[in-house]
Amino acid sequence: MIRLLVFLIAGLALAAEDPGLDRAEGLWRAHDYESAKNVFETLVKAHPENAVYKVRFGRLFLERFNPADAASLFSEALAIDPRNAPALLGLALVADENFSGSASDLAHKAMALDPKLLEGRELLAKLALEDNDYKETRAEAELALELDPKSITAEAVEASADLVEHKPADEWLNRIATGHPNDGHGYELIGYFLQLNRRYDDGIEWFRKAVAVQPDLWSAHSQLGLNLMRLGREPEARKELELSYNNGYRNDETVNTLRLMDSYKNFETFRTSATILKLDKKEAAVLRLYMEPEMRKAIATYQRKYEITLPGPVQLEVYPNHDDFAVRTMGMPGIGILGVTFQNVVAMDSPSGRPPGDFHWAATMWHELSHVYVLTLTNQRVPRWFTEGVAVHEETQASADWGDRLTPEIVSAIKDKKLLPIAELDRGFIHPKFPEQVIVSYWQAGRVCDFISQQWGEKKLLDMIHAFAHTDSTVDVVKTQLGITPEQFDEKFLAAVNAENKSLVAHFDQWKKDIREVNAAAATGNWEKVVTEAPGVRDEFPNYVGDGSIYTSVAAYWRRKPDDAKETAALLEYSHAGGRNPDSLKRLGTLLATQGKVKESAEVLERLIFIAPLDEDLHRALGEDLLTLNDAPGAAREYRALIAGKSPDTAAAHFGLARALRLEHKDGEAKDELLETLEAAPNFKPAQKMLLEMTSKNSSD
Amino acid sequence: MRLLLFLFLLAEVASARTFYLIVSGLGGEPDYDLRFSGLAKEADKSLRAAGGDDSITTLTSPASTKAAVQGALAEMARSATPRDSLVVLLIGHGTFDGVDYKFNLPGPDLSATELAGDLTKFPASRQLVVDTTSASGAALKPLEHPGRIVVTATRDGAETNATVFARFWVEALHDNSADTDKNEVVTALEAFNFAQRKTAKFYEEQKRIATEHPVLSDAAKAGQFTVIRFGSEAAAASDPAKKQLMVRRDDLEAKIDALKQQKNTMAPEIYKAQLTALLVQLAETQQEIDK
Repeated sequence: MIRLLVFLIAGLALAAEDPGLDRAEGLWRAHDYESAKNVFETLVKAHPENAVYKVRFGRLFLERFNPADAASLFSEALAIDPRNAPALLGLALVADENFSGSASDLAHKAMALDPKLLEGRELLAKLALEDNDYKETRAEAELALELDPKSITAEAVEASADLVEHKPADEWLNRIATGHPNDGHGYELIGYFLQLNRRYDDGIEWFRKAVAVQPDLWSAHSQLGLNLMRLGREPEARKELELSYNNGYRNDETVNTLRLMDSYKNFETFRTSATILKLDKKEAAVLRLYMEPEMRKAIATYQRKYEITLPGPVQLEVYPNHDDFAVRTMGMPGIGILGVTFQNVVAMDSPSGRPPGDFHWAATMWHELSHVYVLTLTNQRVPRWFTEGVAVHEETQASADWGDRLTPEIVSAIKDKKLLPIAELDRGFIHPKFPEQVIVSYWQAGRVCDFISQQWGEKKLLDMIHAFAHTDSTVDVVKTQLGITPEQFDEKFLAAVNAENKSLVAHFDQWKKDIREVNAAAATGNWEKVVTEAPGVRDEFPNYVGDGSIYTSVAAYWRRKPDDAKETAALLEYSHAGGRNPDSLKRLGTLLATQGKVKESAEVLERLIFIAPLDEDLHRALGEDLLTLNDAPGAAREYRALIAGKSPDTAAAHFGLARALRLEHKDGEAKDELLETLEAAPNFKPAQKMLLEMTSKNSSD
Repeated sequence: MRLLLFLFLLAEVASARTFYLIVSGLGGEPDYDLRFSGLAKEADKSLRAAGGDDSITTLTSPASTKAAVQGALAEMARSATPRDSLVVLLIGHGTFDGVDYKFNLPGPDLSATELAGDLTKFPASRQLVVDTTSASGAALKPLEHPGRIVVTATRDGAETNATVFARFWVEALHDNSADTDKNEVVTALEAFNFAQRKTAKFYEEQKRIATEHPVLSDAAKAGQFTVIRFGSEAAAASDPAKKQLMVRRDDLEAKIDALKQQKNTMAPEIYKAQLTALLVQLAETQQEIDK
């Protein structure tokens, strides 16, 4: 919304001499939005063929947090007048609200129709800076200043580019201070760009300046509140957000963040010297058992690897409601993200916030904690692609099984040569040109870092981190650290990617056809076809473990048959290929345990803990396996998880814990658990047997 | 609850049997056909694995016609007595037109009223009907009868989506965690609680609005109705030599229940000591019974 406000004043100046329109614009300027809306509605109804009314009405909607209706009005205006530059600009602004890659194309089209459209030029400068293309940014800003030498937006974009590049911005800041002493929009825009580059503390300072020179700039109060909230400074954040809300600035970010803060009463906070863990009360007891140790492990690993101790504890917030997590990422680029890092505050989905098997919480946690270290080491001066790439790379370093897998979307991008040059990879995250480009860019960035690690050694990544601390130019860092030009790097990298995936790409179209046919056969009960064609389909795309994977179809056939050995083999292949469906993996665990392969069963189930830690059946099965393997601490953890999760089968959970504690020779605690067991189920025979053993003369207490 | 169950078992020793009728209906699509018949076979397997001299009849599509279902009930009725129990498990699709609930079968469907008529003629005085179909809530009223417990997958006839409740009811027949009091018996109440909880969790995990809300007509009776029995409990109940021990076990159980009632009024260490003493006696008694 900030991005819109800075264009508003110039936009209003465009209003023609038209009494009806003047009245609407006047009411708008007076912040009487409802009356302005009514006047516009009357105008549009009375003059359905007037494109100008629709465009201006659209701009009102856009400013008042309704981009969908705004877009409809801009489209209607274009239907009337296809050469209406302000309507195209309106659509470009709507696209930029969502960081859509189409914003730039639309703005260029608008400029082609009206080369003197100041807002269009200002938008192009902004878009270039969002992509960290500093040369283009400055070129566009200069053109905007030629159109209006006092353009506060152009001046603020120039200042932002300097500040983001860690250069002195005095010239531009002086121009803003002297030319617009009471206008906070310039500082607000600078704050916006700094927070977009993850410099939240710096962003906060500029939002403070914005509200200092213009105390009624409610959008800046809102941004100040949001960024304070991102860093966990809740009391001040609430104050600013409420101030903004109470003065009528009620965009989605403000309203939803206030709601989210209200919901924090349902959270529990666990603190250690290095960690602050915020969990929803309803799942805190179970998740803490797994997340706290994993967080400590990741921090210890990164501390050694990055040779740095963080200045304070890392805060991890885990949201069971995905919408709550989404509030934490509002106004940020990147669709479908699972976690987000704000300096030393990490927010992520809870496994319960996603369909089972969709989400690997441990990989996400390691990914986000990697950002904390890389951002700290570089003082937030690092291109997005590199910090994301290192984070994906770190996932696979933590476990070969983690990290971003090849999905059909990624294979398609490789096949269609849609991977971006390394120097432009940031664009794939900020302004994706096709819906899957963010996902493809995560994978590509991860593979780039894997490739650097393979070719130049793992330490080279740390060297690059240190290099980025002094310049965030990918071109410079590639040249100085890798000793080749970005173009040469692209050539080598693409050759490696193409060689690795040659067979996959060659068979991709055939695989799409075959997998559809096999799934159709399974749906109609033609299992012979499924089993006959399975090996061929599997070999065409061995890594495909998503919905309707060949492995699960074959396993389903053998389960119906039934043939436990063949079902086990199919599920093992699925697991080794990276399959994450909890039901399939639990079934595999059961089959393996039944066949006496308890160690293998435990390995499968341990892997599932990182995917479905709230699954009661999983804890029960894994606890039993670990007891069989004499892993008493592991078994105790699983039964504690069952108890913490309030399993209805209380007796079995306490009895499992009693057995684990007894195995650890903690007889006193074991006996207490045994009493809990028998209090719930006095006739539980195995527990009775243990009680008699433990109360016999030879038994120690 | 356990005491009542035991007294009931004593009264019914030796001759009381349970008649099971499992029916999977018309799937309409191969996937549903396979799923429904698969669940019916799984339930059949679990009941047979439990052993005993119970009677188990399983009908799957296309053999599960209305005539076949009614014929199977009539056949079982010939050897059943009032002391016996009957369990009917219906798996498949159901419909409700605002007046009649119907269980979809190959050929003519079976209405709840028709099924109620057949069941009322059935000699067994203790009956359990588990209707796991869509819209099965509409069958609750027509199937109501003294001595009959009714379980449905949906709360009324308006919940018409395909259900998942059957899957979890069948799971309760072989999952030890359904037996929450660990007495080696899964009652209708335990099976219902297990399946209901798993059904709710299924929708929660899948992030889908729950389109089925299971209903149990009589929780008190369901707590005393044995659906499946594991282990040696049945054999012990039929051994006259062990009656004394079982009476003693019952007495100890009653004492433990009474002690638990007083827990909040007692010093923890005294409660713990008394509870341990009673539990040890109970375990020793059970050991004697199991010899």
